[in-house]
Amino acid sequence: MQWSLLLATVLICNTSLAADAYQTPEDFIAQAFVGEIPDPGIIWLTGKRKEAVKNILGHRYPFLRVRYWRQNQRSVWILQEIGKEKPITTGIIINHGRLERIKVLIYRESRGWEVQYPFFTDQFKNARPGEIEHLDRHIDGISGATLSVRAMKKLAALALFLDAELKELEHVSPSP
Amino acid sequence: MSRHHHKKRFKLRSFYLWHRYMGISAAAFVLLIAFTGLLLNHSDDFEFDKQHVRSGLILDWYGIQAPQDLRSFFAGKHYITLMGEDLYLDQYEIRGNSRQLAGVVFAGDMFVIAVNDSILLLTLQGEQIDYLRGKDGVPAGIQQIGIDATGSIVVRTDYEHYQPDADFLHWQRRDNDTSSIRWAAPSVISAQFKAALQQHFRGEVLPVERVLLDMHSGRFFGRFGTLIFDIAALLLMFLALSGTWIWFKRKR
Repeated sequence: MQWSLLLATVLICNTSLAADAYQTPEDFIAQAFVGEIPDPGIIWLTGKRKEAVKNILGHRYPFLRVRYWRQNQRSVWILQEIGKEKPITTGIIINHGRLERIKVLIYRESRGWEVQYPFFTDQFKNARPGEIEHLDRHIDGISGATLSVRAMKKLAALALFLDAELKELEHVSPSP
Repeated sequence: MSRHHHKKRFKLRSFYLWHRYMGISAAAFVLLIAFTGLLLNHSDDFEFDKQHVRSGLILDWYGIQAPQDLRSFFAGKHYITLMGEDLYLDQYEIRGNSRQLAGVVFAGDMFVIAVNDSILLLTLQGEQIDYLRGKDGVPAGIQQIGIDATGSIVVRTDYEHYQPDADFLHWQRRDNDTSSIRWAAPSVISAQFKAALQQHFRGEVLPVERVLLDMHSGRFFGRFGTLIFDIAALLLMFLALSGTWIWFKRKR
């Protein structure tokens, strides 16, 4: 009886986690900046950039343009990637070309929700673009959450790449 | 040979005949169950869950019908059509669930589609540029979308008119003088085009895996299908037992 109650509790908890919003993207963006939130900017995923993104994700990004919020050398990205079947929405902060913070905002998959915990996301701190799955370090996986872990690594690499692209664009056309 | 031995042999022979007839009767079921089971075992490899049945006969058998009400707009020499929850650029389906298609305009080499109380920006090739919602500043309750004399996009909500900036990131209210605005108006599509869309719609509903599962369980064959397959399963159990029994008896 006790075991069935425990099992039922676990099942209910897992069901509620199947599509859980841990933080709204708006809150994440507001939290990322002290004071006023900068206006959003847009980066287009066309030409070579589109190919590079495809190389990172293994497929095309679902949209041709991505919004970001930037203040000095910090940029904030709200990105999505499908783990197994449903998109995982993450908030990512890049500071001076290094990953400052990655957080799962909305998790919709039925398994693999452990990727939300700091023991996993803390591994990305200070990560830069590199050779190990487009990151400069190895990220330890989680048993039973392989696809979600893979999606998180792709999103971290994508945010780092896009932030680097912004800097590249600045060099090409410096702001007045 | 004793009488008892004759009787025993006769009994075995009669049982063997039963075994044979039942074997023949069950053969079709065995083949169907084994074949569908084999395919289902490799469903992931063949991606049967992602492929859909397009056969009109099977779709009719399942009673799958396409919606009759379509809402279509003609813009940039193309049709944008909402059928059920599917949005189409001509006959190409745009990913995602859609509803309430308020209008479509073609501006700056892209389609600006007012759908789901949001704005979907689409290239001529059907690639999604962006999908902007209320949280992105899109006004709530869009009823119409149009272009004014200067080529700017305008949307009409229940009470106001709004205009976005070039990137669709900021919206501002504009005066209610609508005399220069050309509002997007629904278009009538040909019966042939409608039939093609409906055929496409029907062909996206039923996964192959579903049909295989139904064939495997007998549900495919209607109300009595599962009952017939239950009987077939009993037959197979009988065959296994009778076959073993005959084998032992002959061995003796």
